[in-house]
Amino acid sequence: MLRSARELVRFRGLLATLTGREIKARYRGSVLGFLWSLANPLLQLAVYTFVFGLVFRPHGGALADPYALFLITGLFPWVWVSSSILEGSMSFIASSGLLRKAVFPLELLPTVAVLSNLVHFLLAVPILAAALAVGRGLGYAVSGWPALLLPAIVALQLPMVTGLVLGIAALNVHFKDVRDIVANLMTLLFFLTPILYPLEAIPYRALWWLVRLNPFTPYALGYQQTLFYGVVPDLTLWVQMALVALVAWAGGTWLFERLRETLVEAA
Amino acid sequence: MTEPEAGRVHRAGEPAAGGQGAVAPEPGGLEMGGPVAIRVDGVSKLYRRMAPGAKLATLKSALMGGTLTRGLDPGRSIAALEGLDFTVRRGEAFGVIGGNGSGKSTLLKLVAGILRPTEGTVEVDGRVAALIELGAGFHPEISGRENVYVNGAVLGLSRREVDRRLASIVAFSGLADFMDEPVKNYSSGMYVRLGFAVAVHTDPDVLLVDEVLAVGDEAFAHKGLRRIEEMLAAGKTLLFVSHSLDLVESLCDRVLWLDRGRQRMVGEPRRVVDAYRQSVAEAEGRAHREEKDEAERARAAAGEAAAGAAAGAGRSERRWGSREAVLEGVRMLVAGEERYHAASGDEMTFEMTVDASRPLDDFVFGVRISTPRGTECWGTNTHLAGHRPRRLAGRATVRAVCASLRLAAGEYFLDVAVHSTEGAPYDYWRHALAFTVTSTDRGIGVYFPEHRWELAGGVEWEES
Repeated sequence: MLRSARELVRFRGLLATLTGREIKARYRGSVLGFLWSLANPLLQLAVYTFVFGLVFRPHGGALADPYALFLITGLFPWVWVSSSILEGSMSFIASSGLLRKAVFPLELLPTVAVLSNLVHFLLAVPILAAALAVGRGLGYAVSGWPALLLPAIVALQLPMVTGLVLGIAALNVHFKDVRDIVANLMTLLFFLTPILYPLEAIPYRALWWLVRLNPFTPYALGYQQTLFYGVVPDLTLWVQMALVALVAWAGGTWLFERLRETLVEAA
Repeated sequence: MTEPEAGRVHRAGEPAAGGQGAVAPEPGGLEMGGPVAIRVDGVSKLYRRMAPGAKLATLKSALMGGTLTRGLDPGRSIAALEGLDFTVRRGEAFGVIGGNGSGKSTLLKLVAGILRPTEGTVEVDGRVAALIELGAGFHPEISGRENVYVNGAVLGLSRREVDRRLASIVAFSGLADFMDEPVKNYSSGMYVRLGFAVAVHTDPDVLLVDEVLAVGDEAFAHKGLRRIEEMLAAGKTLLFVSHSLDLVESLCDRVLWLDRGRQRMVGEPRRVVDAYRQSVAEAEGRAHREEKDEAERARAAAGEAAAGAAAGAGRSERRWGSREAVLEGVRMLVAGEERYHAASGDEMTFEMTVDASRPLDDFVFGVRISTPRGTECWGTNTHLAGHRPRRLAGRATVRAVCASLRLAAGEYFLDVAVHSTEGAPYDYWRHALAFTVTSTDRGIGVYFPEHRWELAGGVEWEES
């Protein structure tokens, strides 16, 4: 697990170049280009607000008012996480040409997927901030200075996501089934993470525990507390985020390390 | 996270395992002075079979702490390389030849450090540039220029280093007008040119080249070759894989012949290339003989049933005739010895064995040589030569002896036939055998007369 971290730091220049390439390539050839990074979250915001703000009214609406703002504080980071995992899991297969011709640390490729999606998330942060500011201006008691803790939570989630992606991507080289399993699992986990609803709004004890034990939940709570409610998360939540990050990184890099030698041949 | 004992690839500056200090003597090759640039020591490479069952086994052994690549049982793996042992000195041009699937590219990837050996060690001293699958890492959506930066970074150049070399890279690729186009609009030749340009600008000590010159157009192939020669002149080491045997022979100081993953021969280019050509020609001759036997058997099996009907009808696409006389065998003799490989100008004899079940008084023997693309090189028969038939009965041997057959280097097919004076075939055998001709002459065409150039007046050569 340390080896992967070391390699990523040592090759940070290449990591930055490859991430830049990924971001440039994404919107190349589209008319709006980079604006899609801003338009996408806005459109998501509109869709979810329409569906869950007007069509279905979720339980505990009072706990999350205005609902649209509550929603995006959880949703934007989730989009980063889930697209990182879905894209990252294919990274070795997608870049098999690169793997077979050059020598560089293989952990770069999945990490590039995580980082390029992180950039898209960070580009959406100003929209998030503006939306929250508007909410405050309209008299809602949302956000506050604890929102400045956002970088800390992102910093804790980054190794968690990267670890997961490393492990999944390595496994996916041998078993293409992984991709479909992960895609469905991510959909399930989305609903088992308190993003569309506040955790407190869950009526059943067992279900509450299920959601609370989901490894993605501490981060979602972290984002909501700092950004939406404007409170500093308590120590327990910080510890939980750090622990999940540690376990995911250790497990993911272990799996990656075990399969490292087979990747070039099999991809 | 422990480093495995076997299969290490040593980069520059890393100490060699096992404390090998002295340079091992070279088995069967020219001794060249100077330090070792590449040392391949007892190297084998097994690939896992990727059958569905094997995948689960891979996962299991990976997770349960198994050995993955090492100690694979033979049923689960394919040996791409076995027991390779050789060294390449700094400044040497080392060629690798062999048929498809003989492990040439695997060897290059092991030296490049992209793959790890299953057994043995590969040591490389200095920075390696691998001209393998050029342009494979290009991102289709972004521009040529941006890809130069990314590709350069992947090959170990910093942004500033690429900045400094960009003009030279662009000039070398000859793609100045296309640098801002996304590379998905490039032709495959343009891909290769750009990839080649970046790779040779990484300032390598060791250059690995895998058949890349064959991909671009003629002009670029020459440019690339010149660049390789310049790098050699500058003391760089070259590992050169190619199917172009003439190129290997002229460029390399030593040549390794790989035969189904085994090191068949290392040494002086001329000798190794010749031995390889001989073996290829023999294998082709064997294939032809086997095909012939097969046809014989099929004929024997079908013969009885349709003996009457088949007479005179086409027997196969490559063999036809009435079978009043049958060609039983065809051989090629070079200087009196059966061989399917000769140098241009050698004495070559084409020998056919013929069997006539009942005596014939009208018969002509013919031979015809053509290239695989169907160009007729030479053809004649006993009638044209003025021989009048009297009697052919039972078994006979007929030879066409060419005291000096001055064909250009290349592959040739021999057709043989026995037919009537009118031309009705008894047995026409197309592509009865294949043979290879080698030549030091570099011209085009199929025929090389002995020739020289003479000058008069205001023209002169460089002193040579």
